[in-house]
Amino acid sequence: MSSDLVLDLYSDLLTELWEIVSALIGEAILAFLFTLAIRKLGEKHPFLLSLEVSEEGVSCEKMKEDCRAVAPAEIHRGFQGLINQLSHLFSALADGVINKELFPKVFSKVREAERIISQ
Amino acid sequence: MRLIFKNLNVLRSTINAISTGVEIKEIVESAGNNLPNLFDFCSFGVFWKEDLLLFLYQEESCPPSFAQEVVKNMINVFSILGEEPIDAERITLQVDQGKLRAKQRMVSPKATLKSHLTLPLAVEGEILGCLSLSSDRPNAFDAQDLQFLSVIGYQMAASLKHFQRFSSVKNMATYDTLTGLYNRRYFEERLEVEAEKSFYSGAPISLVMVDIDHFKKVNDTFGHTDGDQVLCKISSLLKASVRKKDTVARYGGEEFILILPEARLEQSFVIAERIRQLVENTPFEVGRAQVNLTLSMGISNFPSHRVKSKEELIKMADQALYDAKRGGRNKVCIFTEKSSQWTVPT
Repeated sequence: MSSDLVLDLYSDLLTELWEIVSALIGEAILAFLFTLAIRKLGEKHPFLLSLEVSEEGVSCEKMKEDCRAVAPAEIHRGFQGLINQLSHLFSALADGVINKELFPKVFSKVREAERIISQ
Repeated sequence: MRLIFKNLNVLRSTINAISTGVEIKEIVESAGNNLPNLFDFCSFGVFWKEDLLLFLYQEESCPPSFAQEVVKNMINVFSILGEEPIDAERITLQVDQGKLRAKQRMVSPKATLKSHLTLPLAVEGEILGCLSLSSDRPNAFDAQDLQFLSVIGYQMAASLKHFQRFSSVKNMATYDTLTGLYNRRYFEERLEVEAEKSFYSGAPISLVMVDIDHFKKVNDTFGHTDGDQVLCKISSLLKASVRKKDTVARYGGEEFILILPEARLEQSFVIAERIRQLVENTPFEVGRAQVNLTLSMGISNFPSHRVKSKEELIKMADQALYDAKRGGRNKVCIFTEKSSQWTVPT
């Protein structure tokens, strides 16, 4: 599986996550949380620093340019870490309210991504 | 549907109330008064990072242990968001405990924190603090509560940012950036008020103009950075030597001015003389050296001197300061009509 394909998978996933969570807590706070999570994981998975976050949303376009040489498994691990970190932040903020909305739609896709990559 | 409309109306009036607040307490209070109409909670808190202030509005029956849990939780969430630990002991807690709703909600004395919604107060990527709703019931909040709270949080963050900018502009217009004393602009305003009051009521008022003797030498010998430190040290001494109602301002380079409301001439002379002696006896660390400095001071007073305006009061104090300089420095001089009269330090 190519890096582009994994990136596309997670790009769609993040777009969906953004739509759900921004409706709950607003774009400004969500952008802040994304930036916080990326900063936290940037050292371990430097390719995440190419993720563009603004109040408009999250974009993987620059990342696609920058990450051609990054292994699909590393991209998968990085995004998995990012989603876990965001989930941890959501839970710290609102107990289970955000994650309850996210689980059925997004987390099933994370599992699906895991399955595809492991094949 | 009717319930949603009702909630939207409450939300609208809450936002309106928050946006019209100009002081932090006012902004938080507006939210605290309106939120019980929107959410079922027993404690509402706002943490303001800049001043390490935590406002807590809670049900009358909330036990102190519940408030402690809420505070701990808010600090914990903020530490995660702000990526820095917050020292709980440095936080000033303002608790407002009362009836949040017409129909009082009873909280058990053994109640513990079971659910909360905590959101950062974030503007332009900067985190100013956080706000939190807490309950003694599990799963007390749902997605709609979170949506409403985020809208309120957004408005609060915007209002608080506005307040922060306003405060910083106000500070710049009021304080001298080097010494932290009032600046000349503020001094002029304050004198206008105090002089008017005195001229109207006949109550005495004194002005003391202060100048550091041979300060240029300090700057020339040790450099401006060390010179600035001396200015700061003398500013602290001045501030510590006056009464609460007095105003100490930096008038210019090494010149300071004191407004002493309700101080008769003799009283202001005692204060000025005390300051002169204090500075004379204080060794100043400048670089690796220790230097001794002295002050010259000039006093004007109403009604002892025939003044009709604040400008005259300043002019007379300036004239008396000139006399102190001309008389050999390290002196306190009182303005006199014809010849200058200075006192020799004992």
